[in-house]
This record gives sequence, C-alpha cells and structure tokens, in this order.
Amino acid sequence: MPIGSPTPLVRPAGSGRTGAATVTHRRRRQDARRGRAERLAPYVLVAPAVLIIVVLRLWPLVLGVNFSFTGDGELNGTPVGLGNYLELAADPLFRTSLRNVGLLVLLLPVAVAIPGLLATFIYLRVPGHRVYRSVYFFPAVLSPVIVGAIFNLMLGFDGPLNAVLGAVGVGPVDWLGDPDLAMFTVVGVHVWATFGMALVVFLAGFSTLDASLLDAARVDGASLRQTIWHVIIPSLTRTIQFVFVTTMIGMLTSMFGLLFVMTSGGPEGSTYLPEYYIWHQQGQMNRPALASAASTVLFVVMLVVGLLQITLLRRAGRQD
Amino acid sequence: MPGRRLAGWVAAVPMAVLALATIYPLVFTANVAMKTRRDYVLDRFSPAGSLRWDNLAEAWAGAGMARYFVNSFVVVAFAVALLLLLGSMAGFALSQLRFRGSSMIFLGCLAGLFVPFQVIMVPLTRVMADSGLIDTYPGLILAYVAQFLPFTVFLMTSHYRTIPAEIVDAARIDGNTVYGVYRRIMLPLGVPALLSVGILDALFCWNDVLISLLMMPSPEHRTLMIGVNALRGQYSDDIPTFASGVLIAAIPVLMIYLFLQRQIADGVTAGSTKG
Repeated sequence: MPIGSPTPLVRPAGSGRTGAATVTHRRRRQDARRGRAERLAPYVLVAPAVLIIVVLRLWPLVLGVNFSFTGDGELNGTPVGLGNYLELAADPLFRTSLRNVGLLVLLLPVAVAIPGLLATFIYLRVPGHRVYRSVYFFPAVLSPVIVGAIFNLMLGFDGPLNAVLGAVGVGPVDWLGDPDLAMFTVVGVHVWATFGMALVVFLAGFSTLDASLLDAARVDGASLRQTIWHVIIPSLTRTIQFVFVTTMIGMLTSMFGLLFVMTSGGPEGSTYLPEYYIWHQQGQMNRPALASAASTVLFVVMLVVGLLQITLLRRAGRQD
Repeated sequence: MPGRRLAGWVAAVPMAVLALATIYPLVFTANVAMKTRRDYVLDRFSPAGSLRWDNLAEAWAGAGMARYFVNSFVVVAFAVALLLLLGSMAGFALSQLRFRGSSMIFLGCLAGLFVPFQVIMVPLTRVMADSGLIDTYPGLILAYVAQFLPFTVFLMTSHYRTIPAEIVDAARIDGNTVYGVYRRIMLPLGVPALLSVGILDALFCWNDVLISLLMMPSPEHRTLMIGVNALRGQYSDDIPTFASGVLIAAIPVLMIYLFLQRQIADGVTAGSTKG
C-alpha cells in the first residue's frame, strides 16, 4: 500500500474538540497536526518542480503564441492578427529554413539506419565489438561548439578531408562554402556527432531481445539478411520507434550549436534552420514578435511530424 | 557457422574505417595544437615533433579561459544540485505517494518534456528580463533547471517506481514522516539513478550554447562554450593556438567520459526499451 492515506484529503479545520486539555486530547491534537502535515507532504515535495515547469516552460509557450499575434518595434504590443505569419510566409530565409527541415526529415531514415546497422553488427559480435561501442559513443558527449570547431579544421580547403579526396584524385571540395552542399555537410557532422547516442539505445534494445529466437533462426539456416529482416527488426519495433522520435527531435532542436559555429546560416542563407532563424530575428534583428511566430510554426511542425511518425511506425509495427 | 563469421569480417572493415573517422578528428586537432605556426603552415599532417605546451598556455591565458571555466563550473554545479534535489523530491512523491492530482501533475511534467527550448526561447528571455534575471548567474541556473527538470523528474519517477512499496511502509511504521522517508530511504536508494541523470544533466548544461548565449550576454559572464567560440575571431590567423583552446575545453568532458561511460549510457537509454 502506498503511503499517504486514501482517507479524505481535507478535514474540516478544528475537528479536534476544543477546551479539553487532557493528555489524550493533546496527543490527539498533535496527531491531527502531524496528519495534516503528512497529507500535505506530497504537495510540498512536488511544488518546486511543478512551479518551475509551469512558470518557465508551459507558461512561456502560451505567452509566445499570444506574443506572435502582436507587432514589433513601434507596434510593440499592439495586435496585428496574422501579420507576422504572412511576413514569415513571404520571407525567403524562413522558407529555406522550412525546406531544410524537410531535408532533415528525408535524411532521418539514414541517421537511424546507420546506428541500427552498426548496433546489429556489434550485437552479432564482429571482431572488436567491445572497443567499437566506446569509440562510436564518444563524440556524443562533446559540445556542438567543440565538434563544430574541430570540423572547421577538418573541412578546411586544405584540411584532412580534402587531402584524402586529393589522394584519390578528386578535386578539393568547398564543404561549407557551396550553398548546394553546406546543409548536407552540417547534417553529416551532426550525424557524426550523434550516431553513438542512437547506437547505445539500439544496443539496450538488443539486450532485451530473446536469444532463443536468434538460435531458432540459426537452426533454420536463416541468412544474416533474413535474420535481421524477420527476427531482429520485428522484435525491436519499440526501440526503433524511440530512436526515430529522439533522432528527429535531436535534428530539429540541437543543431543550433553547429550552425552557430560552422556556417552562421550561410552561405547565402542556405543552412538556416527555424531555430537559427528564431535566434537571429530575436537577438540580431530585434524582431521578437516575428521570432515568436516562427517558434509557433516550429512547434506545430514538430507536433505534426512527431504524430505522423508515431502513426506510421505504429502501423508498420502492427503488420508484423 | 562459417557464413556468419565471414559476414562478421566483412562488417569489420567498414566498422574499423568508421572508428578511425570517429577518432581521427580529435587526434588531428590535438596534433595541430602541438605544432608551431610555422610547422602548421608548412605541413599540417605530419606528427608534431614533440609535446609543446606553449600554445595551450597561450590559449589559456590569452583568451582568459580560466574565467570561462569558473563561470561554467559554478553554473553547472548549482544547476545540477538543484535538478537532483527537485527531481528526486518530485519523483519520490509521484511514484510512491498517492495524492489527489498526482497523475495530472505527472502529465504536466511530461508535457514540459515535449516543449523544445527553441519554441519558448523568445518569451522565456522576456520573462527572465522582466524579473531582472538576465545576465545573472541565478538566471542562467534557473533556465537550465527549467530546461532539464522534466527529464530529471521523469527519470527519477521511473527509477522510484521500481522500489517496492513495502520498504516505504516499513519505514513509516518505524515512525518516519514522509520527509524522513525521503531523506533516509529514498535519497540513498536513488543514488544510482541520481548519478546517471546528474552526469547527463551536467553534460547537457556544460555543452549548451543557445541558452547561455541568450541568458548571459555580457562577455565577462560567458560560459566556456561561448568563450571557445570567441577564440575563433581572436586566433583566426593562429590555428595551433585556436586548436589548443578547443582541446582544453574538450578535456574535462573526455575525462568524464573515460571514467563514467557506463553511467552516461545508462542515462541515455533509460526509457528506451520499456515504458
């Protein structure tokens, strides 16, 4: 039985009899006071956390939506209806940032498949599997600023990556200066930095896998490909779902550091993401209301993509 | 089975290449950090002749990194302490105590988990500015606590759910108050989870860019990661010193990783396979 009595939470005040100063009565009054303190205890324990979450996370969400319908600058605080949203729709930078979100969603399966495949190999004990686990995971603990700085060196015009390309006879590539390429470069670096996270999650999923299923597959003479397709993937639906959702959230929310250090949104605005746009409009352009509108759009996009993903993955899971 | 073993070796090649690709960028950076400017310009790939510490010393002193380290350390220490205290209190109440509204409160905390910082950064900055907390240590600490508290509460709640109610009942019969149970039973029993979630919270806060950029605008309040980014402009024509600064900033996290890998992985995977 959990503590905290299931009896009524609020007892009428002063329910103890008055005037009686006998020992038993005093004891009873003490018990009543203690009982009240005990009943309030759960609320006292959760209060600080609830207060902080409500005031500094949920309330700002409401404020932001409200704020997105007001004007900036001279119009500060006056309602402008959908003005900010119309301005966003017309802004090529914001459109690029949304297009880049679409690109991220398209690249998502790759970002999930790489760690999934690697985890499968590690689980099947390729030579050296113990070492690989720690090696692959280590960039995941580095700050995006550090990763970005390191890759600014790596991707330099005469940096190591172009040296490797030069050795096989391919000319140097302007990884961060080519508007058609820069976004792919940044996403590539993000995947480099984070696939270890997803890998570890996959490995945790594998540890719950029923080994007898694998043995059965082996006895039946299943090939590696068949084992992965018919045994491993169906048993890991839950983990795959989790990785999909967390990887997408990671892509949509934690690339600011890389963008900040590596491209600052350039070249020609080609590496804008909504979060960078929001930060830029708020801090650099002094357009907080417009930034709020962009935030609201980002929130809606994330909700829609998230729900869509969960629905699709559920349906895929049910077919098996 | 020979086929499987062969497949294993075939997989081993790309895996080894990938492992190299994971390690090499850091090795390259460390190597550059040990070179003189002249060596770097002449040949950036050759191994540095000897370990040289003057680049590191220059980056440390010239860029005032000591200050950034102290700023980051103070903020992270307070934020993590608060997160663990509030997270374990709420986690205990939500998992072991029955009270009216508890499931609503748990849902509210979960909802907080699904509100990305990017979505609330404009109004949050405003709320902080209105309360006079912008550009102060308490402001940044509070922002970090708000950011990672839903996650911390969620993990502590699921950890405390695994503790049988009988333990709490026994402690109650022995005459403990609810607070006594928290302090004497739940806090000690929560240590493994507190360690995991604490390390993870510390890493998140230490590595953060966006929140500290917004909450601590003035240069003397910069956290380490913002400071490292500022190195870029300062040493744009002195790459070895820049690389040294990056290396210095990476070292604490790499040390933590070496010693506490398991706990970090536990934190990351919590909630991935069940619930």
